[in-house]
Amino acid sequence: MSLPLIERAEDGNSDGIVRMTLADLGRPFEAPPQVVTTLTPSLIPTRKLEEGEQYRFHFNVTKCIGCRSCEIACNEQNGNPADIMWRRIGEIEGGTYPDTQRHYLSMGCNHCLDAECIKGCPVDAYKKDPVTGIVLHSADACIGCQYCVWNCPYSVPQFNEARGVVGKCDMCHGRLTDGLEPACVNACPEAAIEIEIVNKTAWRVDYAAAESPGMPAAGLTISTTRITLPPNAAAKLERVDTGRIQQEHAHLSLVFMTTLIQAVTGSLILALLCKSIDPLFLTILLAITAVALNISIFHLGRPAYAWRALKMWRRSWLSREVLGFGLFFAALAATTAASWIVELPPQLCANLHLSSILRPDLLHFAPFILTALGWSAAFFGIAGTIASAFIYLVPARPAWDMSHTPIDFLLSAAFIGSTLPLALSLAIPHLAHLPFLHPLGIYAQPTNIPTWPAYLVAALWMLNHIIRLIRLAKSTVFEERATAALLNTSRLQPYVLALFAMPIAACISTLFGLFTCATLAAFAAVLLGRYLFFVSVVPLNMALTFTRGGSHS
Amino acid sequence: MILRNLRRKLGIDTRQSDYTFQKDPRFGHIASARVADKWVKTTCGYCSVGCGMLIGIKDGKAVAARGNPEHPVNLGKLCPKGLSEHHILDAPGRATQPLLRKDGKLVPVSWDEALDTMVEKFRGVQERWGKDALGVVGTGQLLTEECYTLGKLVQLGFGTRNSDGNTTLCMASAVSGYKLSFGSDGPPGSYKDMETADVILLIGANIADNHPILCQRLERNRARGKDCTTVIAVDPRVTKTAMLSDIHLPVKPRSDIALLNGIAHILIRDGLINLEYIARHTTGFTQFASFVATFTPEHVAELTGLNEEQIIRVAHLYGRAKAAFIGWTMGVNHSSQGAVTVTAINNLALITGNIGRAGAAPFSITGQCNAMGTRETGFTSSLPGYRKFDNPKDREDLARLWNIDVDRIPTARGLAYPDIIEGAVSGSIKALWFIATNPVVSFPNYSVLEQALRSVEFLVVQDGFFPTPTSDFAHLVLPAAIWGEKEGTYTNSERRVSKANILVSPPGKARPDFDIFLDLASRLGVKAELYPNWTSTHDAFLEWQRVSSGRMCDYSNFTWQQIEDEGGLQWGGESLYTDGIFPTADGKAILHSVPCLPFIEQPNAEYDLILNTGRTVEHWHTRTKTSQVEMLNHMVPNAWLEMNPVDATRLELRPHDRVNVVSRRSSVRNLELRITGIVAPGQVFMPFHFSETNSNRVTLGGFDPISREPNFKQCAVLVEKYVKTLT
Repeated sequence: MSLPLIERAEDGNSDGIVRMTLADLGRPFEAPPQVVTTLTPSLIPTRKLEEGEQYRFHFNVTKCIGCRSCEIACNEQNGNPADIMWRRIGEIEGGTYPDTQRHYLSMGCNHCLDAECIKGCPVDAYKKDPVTGIVLHSADACIGCQYCVWNCPYSVPQFNEARGVVGKCDMCHGRLTDGLEPACVNACPEAAIEIEIVNKTAWRVDYAAAESPGMPAAGLTISTTRITLPPNAAAKLERVDTGRIQQEHAHLSLVFMTTLIQAVTGSLILALLCKSIDPLFLTILLAITAVALNISIFHLGRPAYAWRALKMWRRSWLSREVLGFGLFFAALAATTAASWIVELPPQLCANLHLSSILRPDLLHFAPFILTALGWSAAFFGIAGTIASAFIYLVPARPAWDMSHTPIDFLLSAAFIGSTLPLALSLAIPHLAHLPFLHPLGIYAQPTNIPTWPAYLVAALWMLNHIIRLIRLAKSTVFEERATAALLNTSRLQPYVLALFAMPIAACISTLFGLFTCATLAAFAAVLLGRYLFFVSVVPLNMALTFTRGGSHS
Repeated sequence: MILRNLRRKLGIDTRQSDYTFQKDPRFGHIASARVADKWVKTTCGYCSVGCGMLIGIKDGKAVAARGNPEHPVNLGKLCPKGLSEHHILDAPGRATQPLLRKDGKLVPVSWDEALDTMVEKFRGVQERWGKDALGVVGTGQLLTEECYTLGKLVQLGFGTRNSDGNTTLCMASAVSGYKLSFGSDGPPGSYKDMETADVILLIGANIADNHPILCQRLERNRARGKDCTTVIAVDPRVTKTAMLSDIHLPVKPRSDIALLNGIAHILIRDGLINLEYIARHTTGFTQFASFVATFTPEHVAELTGLNEEQIIRVAHLYGRAKAAFIGWTMGVNHSSQGAVTVTAINNLALITGNIGRAGAAPFSITGQCNAMGTRETGFTSSLPGYRKFDNPKDREDLARLWNIDVDRIPTARGLAYPDIIEGAVSGSIKALWFIATNPVVSFPNYSVLEQALRSVEFLVVQDGFFPTPTSDFAHLVLPAAIWGEKEGTYTNSERRVSKANILVSPPGKARPDFDIFLDLASRLGVKAELYPNWTSTHDAFLEWQRVSSGRMCDYSNFTWQQIEDEGGLQWGGESLYTDGIFPTADGKAILHSVPCLPFIEQPNAEYDLILNTGRTVEHWHTRTKTSQVEMLNHMVPNAWLEMNPVDATRLELRPHDRVNVVSRRSSVRNLELRITGIVAPGQVFMPFHFSETNSNRVTLGGFDPISREPNFKQCAVLVEKYVKTLT
């Protein structure tokens, strides 16, 4: 990458308006060209990168006066709306009057060595630029799944609702390429922000200079931003934005999608175990799955490109979830189709010219094929559910990053799965009497689904939630305690109470044979749990201001 | 539209074109929407720092703002307000048509009807109640040329003496203090002094929030070498500026006079004064020396809450500095003792000879972009060109220049702003005209102001924005052009005259204030006499050059073009009083003995906290402009109250609690509480920008007897938890 700045500065003929600030805030190009021999270091590198090096931000806390010009300059540079700020200011404060200290953090993207946004992206929209090390995001490739928003411990990537894609700081790559300062560097009246070169290997060994009060631990992703702090900062300064923890987005589409798919998976497995699958039962499960997958697609910022999400199955849990549930749907559809075909009356087969396929010798293997297809669907369902749970095991969201998440996902499958087949076993005989199903010659099979799993799973499901809540409340991690505190607010408390009332209601309903009620209660419990899971998570983030202005949440 | 929504729902990036980048020929890679066809030089219209800007214009719209790298004030840098200033021009809240109240409602009318009504109503009031029944409050937001034009229109056209500027809420104390000490207004120093001074004493000046672009001067000074300068901040609050200083003196509210006298005491006691300068250029030293003798370090420590060592150290630093600079803003001015506090500051500069040379000045950092222009040209607290009402020669001078009868020039100033409001309440003022100012938010003790606004027979509000909290009371609203829509000059704190240029046309039917003034003059029948053959603000500038010629604020040495080319020019050079000759009767500056009195409303058992008010970097004054800039509003959408943890514990309050601030006058309700060590125990602080939570509901109607500036900074309040009620 060329860096013509130094040449331009030295030739002295360039337009004085070429934007460049000298580190000592001196006026650029003041000296006549012939006497330019040594230049005060500029705020961007003046030599080319060598092997093993990359660019990074250096932010000098001791110079920043908290004027917020960098934030405006960034938004103007990138044409972002007011509520999306790729560079954000945070306050950190400490001490007792009059020995009070308040400082400011000004942060864009940290262009990490181990960037989680890159690893999680299902469509490979992120790239760490091989030359500059800048973490670049492609809006064209992005499908707006927002998984990077969850993955980044600094909450750097932000979703642009109007566009349906995520965006983030690219260190003004386009300006640096032309030897111009990034907008924030250029706007800072105190020369507190600069771009410098870092040796990646050395930094990986010692990145202590990336740590600061108000910043999540740099080790999670190895942030490259170097922060110059005042003496004793770590002991004195604390963030000021912790008093107002805001609810996160509820992601209702994901609440429903995960719940429905888990319900289907659990129901299928129970029915397979009890050998009581029939075409109507499978068709209902297939319909629910179709609804769930459609919901999940429209959760994306750009549903039309959902297919791209398969791309990174080797790396991204989100891709794996999409793959798992995709195969699940295919296997379930195949199972359903097979079950219908097996059950078709001979006359209908003949009319449909299916006799050649459904030869008696093949029909002999039918139950075996059906079972095999059914279990393969169950396998993909479980695999998808596990992949789905692993999406949420991200260090940047501590309240999600607990063993309780996969346990909850599996238990939720079992919970609804232990009640829904009971309800359907009651409903299907009625459905079978529907006139339009008569030509198909459907008859209701006698079912032998036990009720004891419903009690057992409900108890385990509740236990998992109770332990999670206790662990959150007693956690040493601020964000986890904050989640517990959020759940304890007057706004969310009723939901938490309902969360535990519902499984009990499900058990009582089962006891009285009210299987539909039990199923509804189980659904309600899981939906509530999932809603609370989404809204109460407190993500890691850089310290923001007291009014939390500039935060995107 | 439906198709677009559908496409968007399906995942087509319908806004992709809004997020493309192009190469601006001048500024390089940037969002396409910010690439300009041309860049127009201008000067920022917010504060008095007076930054040079380049505004990018594309298709007749202002699309980008940049600091002008060539401009000596800011060298290419801007604060967040400046960087987003182009957004105010096409903001939705702009006033676009004249509105007249008919049957209780403001309805659109033509300019003819608006101005005819205004003239008729004002004349009616003046015929019935006397000429002085009309009160006019102007502003530091206008161009110098407009201030000058307005002064003549009001005093000679309408013939009322009761004309003042909103600058009385801002820097009137500095003006009065300078006049008392030096015989004339005029800040003697320059920003450049902050780069070379060995000691920079900032008193009640939170420049990091209010004049952030000045902070780079401190940084550049420090870059000269280690320990070559000491920045000392005197402020009861640990402001951003206090935190970037080397020494912070956390004085008790309003004890700055004691500190200044105490420093003078130590300087005299320890021989750190310039006896030669005192003898040659000042009067009153003997009396002054004996007056400050009582301000011993022990006594001052008691009054200020500082310790003796701190006071002595700062006095010695100031006394031993080769060049010492004192800067102040509203912490000093916003006081019923503001004017004399300014003289106490001037005393320090005078007895050490820290005036009239590089790095050494007692320097008032003003507020609005053109506060200085109103001071120089204004026909308010003095006659144009720093002339005095009570000086017959000055009056004759002007009469000759204007070719009018000298008897038409008043021999004393009319009512100051607070007295105009008082007059409206008591009935002596019957009509009011507010120009580009929003007293409902900016004037202290709102309940009295409200009574004034409701009492007058006719109230005209001329502003670039509608509605404003003040226009709610108006009988007539005149839509005015704002910064970027008119051409002329602003003068900044360091007396630098800079050019403000036209970027775009005013929205709708809005007109430049200058045009409105001239139109009114025509309707009054005084245009030919007052403004012969004037068509543009340049004509006003040319006359102002003649009027200011030979005066201290002499504009006759430079043309508009020169001002523009040089990035602004300072009248009087970098320092005033370089020869030590002051515009007093004997040419000597006067040392005043300033007693330190307690502030008016002391806390008691019931109202147990002292409320301090101030600003924040994201907003400007009453937010008529900055509330229109989404980015700024998003950063700080609401006011807050700062309270020390000690008081919060005592009152059982927690961070983010909603609280009421209650004074003897009224209350501010539903404020967000910020518990912080930034404020001292016993004190609370809130920003005054927000009309929704207007600090001036509780502030005090106390005014400086000399400058008439309000005492915004201290009043006694209690803080209670806000309880939602059904009303």
